[in-house]
Amino acid sequence: MLRRRDPNVVGQAYGFQAMTPIRPGEEDALRAYLEGLYDDDRPSPLAKLERTHIARWVIITDFVNDRAWGQRRAEHLELPYLVFTSNFDGDLDSYLDELCSKLATEAAEVWGRCVGCPVQAEGAALKAYLKHNQVDCGLFFTPYGDATVPVVKDALAQREQMIAFATDSQGLDPAALQAAFVREFGG
Amino acid sequence: MAPGAKQHPPVHIDFGDIQGDILRAYGNTYDCTSYAFVHIDCAPEQARAWFSGVVDHVTTANPWPRGEKPLTTLNVALTAPGLRALGVSDDKVGSFSREFREGMSDAARAVLLGDVGPSAPSQWERGLGTGETHVLLTINAQQPVDHKRALGKMKAAMKAAGGVRVIYQEDTEMLPGAREHFGYADGFAQPAVEGATERKVRGGGIPLQDGGWRAFAPGEFILGYPDEDTRVDPQRRLPNMPADPLGRSGTYMVWRKLYQDVALWRRTMRAAAKLYTAGDEDLLSAKVVGRWANGTPLVTHPDAPDDEFHPSSSQANDFRYDDDLDGMRCPLGSHIRRSNPRDALGWGGSLSFRHRMIRRGMPYGAVLPEGVMEDDGVDRGLVFVSFQASISRQFEGVQVQWLNAGNIFGLGNDKDYLLGDPFGKGKMTIQGKPPFLLSPQETFVTTRGGEYLFVPGMTALAALADGTTG
Ligand code: HEM
Repeated sequence: MLRRRDPNVVGQAYGFQAMTPIRPGEEDALRAYLEGLYDDDRPSPLAKLERTHIARWVIITDFVNDRAWGQRRAEHLELPYLVFTSNFDGDLDSYLDELCSKLATEAAEVWGRCVGCPVQAEGAALKAYLKHNQVDCGLFFTPYGDATVPVVKDALAQREQMIAFATDSQGLDPAALQAAFVREFGG
Repeated sequence: MAPGAKQHPPVHIDFGDIQGDILRAYGNTYDCTSYAFVHIDCAPEQARAWFSGVVDHVTTANPWPRGEKPLTTLNVALTAPGLRALGVSDDKVGSFSREFREGMSDAARAVLLGDVGPSAPSQWERGLGTGETHVLLTINAQQPVDHKRALGKMKAAMKAAGGVRVIYQEDTEMLPGAREHFGYADGFAQPAVEGATERKVRGGGIPLQDGGWRAFAPGEFILGYPDEDTRVDPQRRLPNMPADPLGRSGTYMVWRKLYQDVALWRRTMRAAAKLYTAGDEDLLSAKVVGRWANGTPLVTHPDAPDDEFHPSSSQANDFRYDDDLDGMRCPLGSHIRRSNPRDALGWGGSLSFRHRMIRRGMPYGAVLPEGVMEDDGVDRGLVFVSFQASISRQFEGVQVQWLNAGNIFGLGNDKDYLLGDPFGKGKMTIQGKPPFLLSPQETFVTTRGGEYLFVPGMTALAALADGTTG
C-alpha cells in the first residue's frame, strides 16, 4: 500500500495550523491583546519557542464575497476565527508540549477567548485542544526544509561576515587578500 | 487581473473637475513653485469663508485657452486634520484611507518608511508631521515677479480672513537642465494614463508580453474612474474612494522634504571610484541611478551616454529589463530599477504594474557649485511629490518594499543606495565581472518633513467651501 506523505512535513520542518472560532463578544479584546504583543523593544512571546522559523496569529472576520466574479451565493462565517500557524523544526508533539508549558500565560489570553478551549489553557488539555482543531496544510511551502533554525542563523551570520570581508578587501593585491582571508576565516 | 486583459471602452476624463498638475505636468513650464502649509485656528464657518476665496482661484486640468499658460497657478490639498478643521464630519473623514488618516509621521509608519535617526519625525521642520498642517497651497509661477505677486495675494487673503496662517513654506525653483541636486535629469519617467498622456505609452505604460505597451486605467491615479483591477469588472464597479461628494476626481498626495548632502555624495563617489573600473566616477554614479546624468538609460547605453538623448522625447523611457536580467548593464539595485522594475521581476510585469505613481517633485535650495567637495551649510534637496489612488499600495509599496528592502530583488539587506542610510551603514552590489561592492552608504538623503494629503476634485472643493460635505 502506498503511504500518503504527511502534508504538514517538508524535510525536517513541520507546518502546523489550527483554526478556532472566537467566542461571541471576545473578538475586540483578542485583537487588542494581539496588537499589544507588538513591541519594538521586546521580542515576540513566540520567540520563546526556539525551534520556530515563522509563526503568527491572524483573526479572520468573515469570508470575502465577490458576486461580480461569478459567485452565486454569499457565504459567511458564523463566528470570526483565530488562525494560528507555525513552521518549526522537528515533530509536532514535542513542539506543542513546549508551547503548552512556555506560553501558558499567553495561551490563556489567546485561545482562552475561543470556543471550546479548556478552562485551564495549558498542558495536556491545551495540547489536545490545539490538535483537535488542527487543519492539514493545503500547500506547505518552505525553501529550506532541511535547515534548522540554528543552521539558518549561522548561514546568515556567515553571509554577513563574507559580505563585510569582500567589501573591505576590494582592491587588495592577491597576497594581501590571501593574508586577510586567512586572518578573517582561518587557514 | 493580467496586464494584457481585455477592457471596456475607453473612459472619458472630466478634466474640468480635476485639479491641474496631476495628470498633465506643469513641469518645466513653471520655474518657481511654493508649497505653503496653512494652519486653521478658527471655527469651521470662518475657515470656510477663507477657503471659498481660495477655491475660486484653483487651476483645473482643463486645457489652457489658446494654449496660453497662466502666469501663475494655484492648487489645494488637505490633511485629515484639515478636513475636520473645515467641518467635515468624523464619519466622512473615516471614509478616507487608513494611512491618510493616521498620517506620515505615525510612529509605526515612520519606521517602515525609513524615517528614523536623523530622518525621524521628531527632527522634522517645525509644523510638519505634527497634525497642525491643515491645507497645502501649491503656487506655480513663470517668473519670480509673478511668484511674489501670487504669494502676496495669498497672504493678504489670509490676513483679511483671520484665523488662518502659513506655518511652513517651502520655495522651490527648477535647476538648470531640469536636474536634481546630485546632477541627474529628473522627473521625466511618468506613468502614461489612458485618455490623458497616452503619447508616452512606450516605457510609461504597462509592458505587455507581445512587446507592446498599454496605458494605465485613469483610476490608478484619479478616483472615480476604473483602475487596473476594476477596468475589467463586468459590474463596472469603481475602486474604493472617500464618500460622496469628496472622493470623485480627487487623488492622494505624498509630500516629502528630502535634504540632499551633495558634498558627501560627491566625496563618497570620488573615493569609491578609485577602486572601480579605471576610476570611472561617472559610470559608478550612473550605476547607482540607472541613468547617465543627462538621463540616458544604462540598460540601452551601458558604456557611454547618448549625447542626443532628450528626456522629453517620447522614446526617453522606452526600455525593459528582460535582456539584462542579471543586471550587468543596469544594476539590480539601481534607483530607477528598484523604483519601477518594469518586467524585471518576471511574470510579465504583473508584480510591478500596480505600484506606480505620478511624480511632481521640485528641487529646493541653491546648487552646490560644480567641483565643491565640502558642505557649505545650505539647505538643499528635493521636494518629493507623488499622486496616486492609494498611498499604501503605490507610494508606500515602492518606498518600503522596493527602496528600503532588497529581498524581492535578491539583494538581501541592500537598500536603495542613492537614498542613503540614516546610520551610514549598508552597501550596494554592482553586478559585473567581478562585481563591485559600493560602500559605505552614507546619509546622502535625510527626510526633513512630510505629509499625506488629499487633493479634492473641483466639485468636492466647492462642497468643502460651502460646508455641504456632511
Ligand atoms: C532625494 C531623493 C531622490 C532623488 C535624488 C531621486 C532621483 C531620481 C532620478 C535622477 C530619477 C531618474 C529620472 C526619471 O526617471 O525621472 C528618478 C526616477 C524615479 N524615482 Fe527617484 N529620486 C529620489 C527619491 C525617490 C523616492 C523617495 C521615490 C519613491 C518613493 C522615488 C521614485 C522614483 C521613480 C518611481 C522613478 C521613475 C523610475 C522609472 O519609471 O523608470 N524617487 N529618481
